[in-house]
Amino acid sequence: MKEYKRPLPITTFWSQPFWEGCKRHELLIQQCKICNAKLFYPKLFCPSCLSSELGWIKSGGKGKVYSYTTVYGYQPEAFTDDIPYILAVIRLEEGVQMMSRIVDCKPEDVKCDMNVVVVFKDVTDEFTLPMFKPLLSVFKNS
Amino acid sequence: MSSFKGKVAVVGIGEVPTGVFKDRPCLQSALEVSKQAIEDAGIKKNEIDVIMVTGSFHSRQFSTNMLLSKMVEELGLQGIVKSNMQVCSGGSTSSSWLMTACGLITAGLSKCVLCVHSDALGSAPFQETLEQFAAAGISEEWETPYGFFMGALGSLVTTRYMYETGATPEQLASVVISMRKWAALNPNAMLRRQLTIEEVLGSKMVVTPCTTRMGNLFADGAAAFIVTSTQRAKDVTATPVYPIGFGSVVHHYCISQVFDITKLGYEKAAKEAFDMAGIKAKDVDIAEIYDSYPIIPLIALEGMGFCKRGEAGAFVYEGNTWPGGKLPMTTNGGMLAQGHSGAGGGVAVLVEAFRQLMGKAGERQVKDARIAVETSTGGAYMDSHVTVLGREIP
Repeated sequence: MKEYKRPLPITTFWSQPFWEGCKRHELLIQQCKICNAKLFYPKLFCPSCLSSELGWIKSGGKGKVYSYTTVYGYQPEAFTDDIPYILAVIRLEEGVQMMSRIVDCKPEDVKCDMNVVVVFKDVTDEFTLPMFKPLLSVFKNS
Repeated sequence: MSSFKGKVAVVGIGEVPTGVFKDRPCLQSALEVSKQAIEDAGIKKNEIDVIMVTGSFHSRQFSTNMLLSKMVEELGLQGIVKSNMQVCSGGSTSSSWLMTACGLITAGLSKCVLCVHSDALGSAPFQETLEQFAAAGISEEWETPYGFFMGALGSLVTTRYMYETGATPEQLASVVISMRKWAALNPNAMLRRQLTIEEVLGSKMVVTPCTTRMGNLFADGAAAFIVTSTQRAKDVTATPVYPIGFGSVVHHYCISQVFDITKLGYEKAAKEAFDMAGIKAKDVDIAEIYDSYPIIPLIALEGMGFCKRGEAGAFVYEGNTWPGGKLPMTTNGGMLAQGHSGAGGGVAVLVEAFRQLMGKAGERQVKDARIAVETSTGGAYMDSHVTVLGREIP
């Protein structure tokens, strides 16, 4: 695999199932077994009820772009080759939010509340990053 | 609840020019502003029994020296100061300092608090500082791997705000115009040249929808102030400033976890602070609003009730916040024009609020200013603070 120079996630032991899921191209989120709260990013215990009985559920991988920005400059040096790149906060159908990238989409085509679906980018042997692409392109490309 | 009211006063301020000063050691600035504040207050330096410093982001060593009592030795306060402590909440350090100092004075645990900040982000290597801020309030597991960084923070908020309210790029750019107009009157400001809206929007597009000139610049800067009891204030100064209301809320650590990034916590914070002070928005003479990016003043103006939702852009565009306007706003030029000295960006805004109410703001003095609000936010806009200050005790 080509050398990957960008920073990789600095993980915790309780987020391992999430990253393992990504490697299998599954987007996992936590759910509290006591109060049923859906949690992202992964927590050691439930921030709502403090229970440690947390399970994992598979997300459908669909959501909307809550907000976004296209980066043309002032970015950390490691991302110079990626310019321009689209950063976005994605609101998943399950109700949780995550930072990610919009891919397979021109900067001028991204809009707030646009429907997106997860795509998995195997960036190294150890890490797969979930990113998102416009939902329509699923039909165009497949 | 508001037992500090009428018991605590700010009596002295100090500040050095903000900018890039490679030959001005950070410690020198810390000492100069402390001396200025002591002299301005008219107190004896040995009255200071608590020193509050904050994080200085250009150097871990300097920051450590400061929190481990460097200032006590430099000011000859060995055996006098009860506690030299670091109080830091990033950009909202200003408000956190004042809250803490009010508590200590009111409780009788301190008679006189010196709050001092100095940082040298302007002289530090740019890319290094940028990389450091790429990790401040930004999750190293969930955000950094995507290339998210501090400079993209304001843009995410701006995109959604424009989408929901229909605010225009011209309106956002007009916040920069307002800041530059005030900075022109502020000898301590870094960017004093006047700009047109076309120049702001025509500068390089860096992080959509924000152009270079819609961003702040890293700077060296330092400021200090002195807090004491109202009783002592009466003996030493004719121009005390009284904290009369505090409101604040911490809403997140990282921005991707916020479900409404277009409002943050200003409405709640303002309600608390205004109720405590017994005032309404219409009673406010000056709004010293923390900026960092043009979007934050718009959100704060609306949250505090100076404008209806979605109307703050037009309010600024029409010149209401400029010198001579209906609501003078961020009269030092804020981080967009005075400069971003780390936690000092917010400290400078708070010190400006004191300066205005003390009647010491020179060319930019707002006439007959009696009540000022100060706002601040730290990290990835993790909190919203609103502080009400008065020239009199209500």
